Amino acid sequence: MVTQMDSSTPPVVSRHSPGNARARRRGRKAAGSVVYHVLMATVVFVWLVPLIWMLSMSLSTDESLRINASSLIPTDFTLENFRNAFALSLVGRWFLNSVIVTASTTLLTVVLCTLAGYAFAKLPFPGRALLYAVVLGGLMVPFEAVFIPLFTTVADLGQHNTYPALILPRIASALGVFVMTQFFSKVPKEYSEAAMVDGAGRWTVFFRIMLPLARPAILSLAILAFVWSWNDYLWPLVSVSDREMFTITPGLASLKLQWSNAQDLGSIMARGVVGAAPVLIVFLIFQRYLLRGITLTSGEK
Amino acid sequence: MRRSSAVGRAGFAPSMLFVGPFLLVYAVFVIYPLLQAVRMSFYDWDLLGMAREWVGGENYIRMLWGTDMQWDVAHLWLQRLLIVAAAAFIGWRATRSKSRFQWAGAAALVVLAVVLGFHPGPDGLWYDPLFWTSLEHTLQFTLMSTPLIIGLGLAMALAVNSKHRGGRFYQVAFFIPYVLPISVATLVWSNVLSPGRGILAEFLANFGVEPISWLGDQRFAMVAIVVTTAWWTVGFNLVMFSAGLQDVDPTLYEAAMLDGAGAWHRFLNVTLPGLRHVLALVVVMQVIVGFAVFGQVNIMTSGGPGNATRTLVLHLYETGFTQKHLGAAAAMAIFLFVVMFVVALIQLRLMREEK
Repeated sequence: MVTQMDSSTPPVVSRHSPGNARARRRGRKAAGSVVYHVLMATVVFVWLVPLIWMLSMSLSTDESLRINASSLIPTDFTLENFRNAFALSLVGRWFLNSVIVTASTTLLTVVLCTLAGYAFAKLPFPGRALLYAVVLGGLMVPFEAVFIPLFTTVADLGQHNTYPALILPRIASALGVFVMTQFFSKVPKEYSEAAMVDGAGRWTVFFRIMLPLARPAILSLAILAFVWSWNDYLWPLVSVSDREMFTITPGLASLKLQWSNAQDLGSIMARGVVGAAPVLIVFLIFQRYLLRGITLTSGEK
Repeated sequence: MRRSSAVGRAGFAPSMLFVGPFLLVYAVFVIYPLLQAVRMSFYDWDLLGMAREWVGGENYIRMLWGTDMQWDVAHLWLQRLLIVAAAAFIGWRATRSKSRFQWAGAAALVVLAVVLGFHPGPDGLWYDPLFWTSLEHTLQFTLMSTPLIIGLGLAMALAVNSKHRGGRFYQVAFFIPYVLPISVATLVWSNVLSPGRGILAEFLANFGVEPISWLGDQRFAMVAIVVTTAWWTVGFNLVMFSAGLQDVDPTLYEAAMLDGAGAWHRFLNVTLPGLRHVLALVVVMQVIVGFAVFGQVNIMTSGGPGNATRTLVLHLYETGFTQKHLGAAAAMAIFLFVVMFVVALIQLRLMREEK
């Protein structure tokens, strides 16, 4: 890292001394650093302008937006839009559905993938290589290729518009198993063997040694699963026909016809903010784990 | 692993307690539906379950064929010439590397170039002209979005991994749009691009540009979708490139500096070769998500105006759920799967060659 100079105390040195040249160089570095940060801050600001604008509109009254909608700070501050979003539309219900579906999907994905990943990495059972190859093959099956048969199967069972129909088809994550297998295979076998010598069983080793070690990987997978599930669009779109059962992502999209109608822009944007808030908050808290999770999914790290 | 250790004795049944639950769910919700999709593609399968009749390859014929079909050399000559050129290049490399995989790739491209010569004659029509329209627009989207998103992601990664402090903060800021639900990303951009009240129109008005209906104009709609997608998803590539940059050996930079290489030469001769692996991976992933583009177009334009943004998955979705032909939709799903499978296969090969 470059040590930055404190610009408030310029070093006093005589001209033509070697110290002067060094100070000039340091001065240039500090100036370069300022230029870098001003430039980056500007670019980041422009990059996030659409979001800032959405937030600003969600906090402005519809009346003021009809006069001027392009302000990046709320023109006539109000929280009314958020109250309306929950009181006057299905947004509250969709939000609740999303919470239920996302929480269940995340939990089940993490449990299944962690158990399977541990077995594929550390338990040399017969047929392991073959089964793992089959699971890796699943990485090549896009959801777009299987959602039609899933739709007919769930329809034949009469299970559309239920929570299990929204949750179960989304928990079989080959990518999740891949991530956990990669992680566990890097844990030295001495860890578990030492415990085995002490008479610990397979489950004891798993719960007492492997799970605590795997905490960061599990957290990364959980955050990824959370974001995937909250943002899932195609499956709830085809599976749900009863508007009350929408999750918030397809729910908000189903309101798109109102987007072009400028009458209640504030409320529309408030709904968008409500839909984005949980993922944004989870991301900002756990960003380290999410970013690491993304590199894990590629098998890079 | 030594057989004497307790782990080494892992039997089938106890291990199944660990893998069994996943395998069960995986079989029911991934493997079975994939096989079922293949089966459905050979049926006239109505959405409401009225008709489920075996029709053989008819869904595929209706997807890919037409009436009064002809073959000639000149049809799509530029595209086919490019394909032949690619085949020749790969074939030339295959003669040196003796890679059977490359031979197969070259041969497949030649076959593709020949097959693309078929088209309906003057009195003929495609059975499903919209399929070809969607395929063309999907390719357009992929060809525009892949370089844009990768270039932007790489530029951002270089910017946030500079020698200055605070790069991490900027990386998180750039990444934020990636976690948004698609309905929020599209809601925001539908408004940004709106000619009436969008901030883009407002901004361009400063330069005397008349408001443009980006999403309502056939010339701009796909570009608008691409820009929205880039804003929404570039964070993923940024993170991948960032991770890749941290793996580049810093001594290589020092060596290059000693040789007096400038920043551009260091980028070309150290950074890019160091990122080859990530680059290959990211290109393939980008092509795959490009082929699967659906939500953006379904929400922002519904495929319009005039089918200008109709993509394969949107066409598949509408064939299945608006026109209620699930069998035909399944055939398109299989087509999509085969395309993605081939791309993924190339990825696996590239990764193995790198290792």
